[in-house]
Amino acid sequence: MKLIINGESRELPDDLSVEGLIAHLGVRKETVVAEVNRKIVQVGQRESWKLSDGDQVELIQFVGGG
Amino acid sequence: MMSATMEQVGSRDAYQINGKTFTSRLLVGTGKYATNELMAQCLEASGTQIVTLALRRVNLEAKGEKTLMDFIDPKKYTLLPNTAGCYSAEEAIRVAHLSRATGISDFVKLEVLFDEKTLLPDPIATLEATKTLVKEGFTVMTYTSDDPVMAQKLEQAGAHAVMPAGSPIGSGQGVLNPNNIRIILEKVKCPVLIDAGVGSASDVAKAMELGVVAVLLNTAIAHAKDPLKMAHAMRHATEAGRLSYLAGRIPKKLYAQASTPEKDF
Repeated sequence: MKLIINGESRELPDDLSVEGLIAHLGVRKETVVAEVNRKIVQVGQRESWKLSDGDQVELIQFVGGG
Repeated sequence: MMSATMEQVGSRDAYQINGKTFTSRLLVGTGKYATNELMAQCLEASGTQIVTLALRRVNLEAKGEKTLMDFIDPKKYTLLPNTAGCYSAEEAIRVAHLSRATGISDFVKLEVLFDEKTLLPDPIATLEATKTLVKEGFTVMTYTSDDPVMAQKLEQAGAHAVMPAGSPIGSGQGVLNPNNIRIILEKVKCPVLIDAGVGSASDVAKAMELGVVAVLLNTAIAHAKDPLKMAHAMRHATEAGRLSYLAGRIPKKLYAQASTPEKDF
């Protein structure tokens, strides 16, 4: 399936949960927040939240700021 | 009478933000450092208990690289995520929701900007976002200009701290209008912090002498020639300014007043 991740189109395996996507991309899961189609995925929902073709995913983390 | 040491004064001289107690009166940002290692050393040296940070997209190409949170212990510091870069109430509220979803902090440094050149806040959007986030149970510390009316409006909206800029963000000009800060301090009961604009230790000491609860800074340390030295300087300046405020300065006079007895030679 095709997902838009952080604004970029990417080809990914089907049947992926948000948890699975984070693992697939090699992103540290402890420090990331996910949003799918502008809805926040709470940490407890990651495993059960299945992604579908065309979903827009944002993966956000803390960076330095004032 | 022996005067109290800073440690003794410090433990008595705590303040609270939405029920959480702090003794360090210096809040430090985590942006603009040459390295994360240096940033972590500066936080330590500054003695800060509250650090600001931001939320941005994960760099998907940087697999396995260390991130900011590898250098900051959330058990040691209260994290104050900002909404920097947001130009509407909706955007700022979204960022606050995202930061709370990390499960690390429900504090938010609310910043709703109006234009990129001045980085001045949009007062109407700031007020709107403050109301919403307070209702949603965030601890809201709101960045504002030094307008005393706006500060009162934000307090009425439930802001847990009002944070006027001393001068524009990152400009290093110090507190340009101390009179406005004085008026804000007279009118507002919630904690007032100077957020942004300080450039040097003396700027911080002067801000603290006005009676603000604390100072929040980032660039002044991160972009100093020697950031670690400046972090130490800022810690001392914050403490010196606070003590000076509590001690009460002498009135300014036009003419000399001899310090040495002039009689009985």
